[in-house]
Amino acid sequence: MHDDTIDLNLDQLAGEFRYIITEMICLAGSGHLGGALSLVEIIITLYWRLMRVNPDNPQWEERDRLVLSKGHAGPVLYTALAYKGFFPKSWLTTLNADGTYLPSHVDRLRTSGIDMTAGSLGQGLSAACGMAYRAKKDNLAHAVYCIIGDGESNEGQIWEAALFAGHHKLDNLIAICDYNCLQIDGFTDDVLTLEPLAAKWTAFNWHVLEMDGHDWQSIYRTLDAARQMRGKPVMVIAHTVKGKGNAVVENLPASHNIKINSPADHQKYLQGLGPACLAGTPWQDSKELPC
Amino acid sequence: MLTDTPLHELEMRVVYGNTLCALAAQHPNIYVLEADLSKASGTNPVFCCSYPDRFINVGVCEANMIGVAAGLAVEGKIPFCASFTPFATRRVYDQITISVAYAKANVKIVGTAPGITAGPNGGTHMCLQDLAIMRVMPHMVVLSPADAYELRACLHWMAEYEGPVYLQLLRGQLPPIFDPSYGFAPGRAQHLRSGGDVTLVSTGYMTSFARQAAEELAAEGIAVDLWHHPSIKPLDGESLAQSARRTGRVVTVENQSVLGGLGGAVCEFLAEQCPAYVSRLGVPDRFGEVATEEYLFNKHGFGVMHIKEACRTMMRRAQCRL
Repeated sequence: MHDDTIDLNLDQLAGEFRYIITEMICLAGSGHLGGALSLVEIIITLYWRLMRVNPDNPQWEERDRLVLSKGHAGPVLYTALAYKGFFPKSWLTTLNADGTYLPSHVDRLRTSGIDMTAGSLGQGLSAACGMAYRAKKDNLAHAVYCIIGDGESNEGQIWEAALFAGHHKLDNLIAICDYNCLQIDGFTDDVLTLEPLAAKWTAFNWHVLEMDGHDWQSIYRTLDAARQMRGKPVMVIAHTVKGKGNAVVENLPASHNIKINSPADHQKYLQGLGPACLAGTPWQDSKELPC
Repeated sequence: MLTDTPLHELEMRVVYGNTLCALAAQHPNIYVLEADLSKASGTNPVFCCSYPDRFINVGVCEANMIGVAAGLAVEGKIPFCASFTPFATRRVYDQITISVAYAKANVKIVGTAPGITAGPNGGTHMCLQDLAIMRVMPHMVVLSPADAYELRACLHWMAEYEGPVYLQLLRGQLPPIFDPSYGFAPGRAQHLRSGGDVTLVSTGYMTSFARQAAEELAAEGIAVDLWHHPSIKPLDGESLAQSARRTGRVVTVENQSVLGGLGGAVCEFLAEQCPAYVSRLGVPDRFGEVATEEYLFNKHGFGVMHIKEACRTMMRRAQCRL
């Protein structure tokens, strides 16, 4: 299925996301830019094409769940939730502000639409396993998505959860590894290689799919296929670029957590977005929601 | 099921398994999670055979057990997770902190064979700090019941309470302190003996020893005001303050390090609210080791004879009253 109109709108939406994510982190003075930008297309595809959610009833029993185990990517998820109507877009200017509803790392108690708290790496996949296990026991049809990082995959708990999900054949669990090949101290292959990553997940009794995490068709087709697979949990290895779409940080280890020390820094990071940057309107709630 | 046997004639772990079965019949959302120690915890065979669909053995993966429990809890389930005390607490401290307490997930964590009751498993398994580390965790309730009746009552309360709880589970059979009518309330201490000379404060495993010490001291003419605190957090500061104001002398005893647990909580409270002389008994700042209970009591100084001596020593001090 290829629809140029949809792709065009999605590209526009992705551009707005990248502007908002960059701007909200600049306004906060610091933040995890690279790992949020690498997830833009994946989060948009999940929330606009695949996941069943209800902003008017965030705890809707039949909704699909998402555990953002790499909880520091909160800004990309907050942008999606605001655009979907879970809370006002104006909140997006309050990242990390005193008393904010949008903390750097996702918190289910603070933010409408966040299904699980995360921030200490390696824990979210276990929680997603519990959620998926419960759904199967209670004969509920919803899916549980879980996004983990490649650096996060260094954590031993990820592999405990991998054993568990494989053993219990949690085929309602779809994990996505944001394989941008960078972690805080450098390239994943230099710090602690994950390769052969697909073979590892296969060996843990998961279905394994791979996709280009910035190509709309690849993402949709892969995640749609993942949703149909039965008998095993599904690991989708998403090949992404850390800092994607912002030339100042793209594919740089330093993109993990940027500091904005001056107005010049702020301008630099916005200019890094290039012509795709759509400054101006996205903060306004009156803007027509592209959903 | 040994339903006709008086509760106090059963091992505590059997009471744990039986009580969870009884609770599961009333609460369809109760789940039991184990990490390959289900026989030691007492949920195997009784719970796993009665409720196989609500029993999850995660294998030797304690971190994942806590995370899976958190996921079940945010979906409305009431998971009870057990393992040996060191593996249920300090090994998974960050998992409990973030996925359970910070996320306010309704997970019940049970640490079995606490303190020196780890016995032949020795220093690696002898967790002496779980009361201390669990009570400094926001949102966490910390309990250490002293007999089978109190354990049963605590478990009933935990099933009803919406929030994270940590409970120390002694595995063996214990002498009865309470009776079948016992009702538990968090933050409420149990007054086991009245006296005006020394306040003796205990919890969990040490309460039966404290009771024996108090009885023997009465024969010597020392009147002990004995309080058992099943709830380390919230702490019953009110009854503690009332007793300490009367006696001016407080001895604490616990099956834990003297740092940060019951003794620490008592000192924090008294120092701010009503200062009194305090003597803390338990294991000093040391690791455990493979040894008999008698050896460990004598080495670290917290058996019956040491409790009595601490109370006598207190009696030689002037009362501290402000």
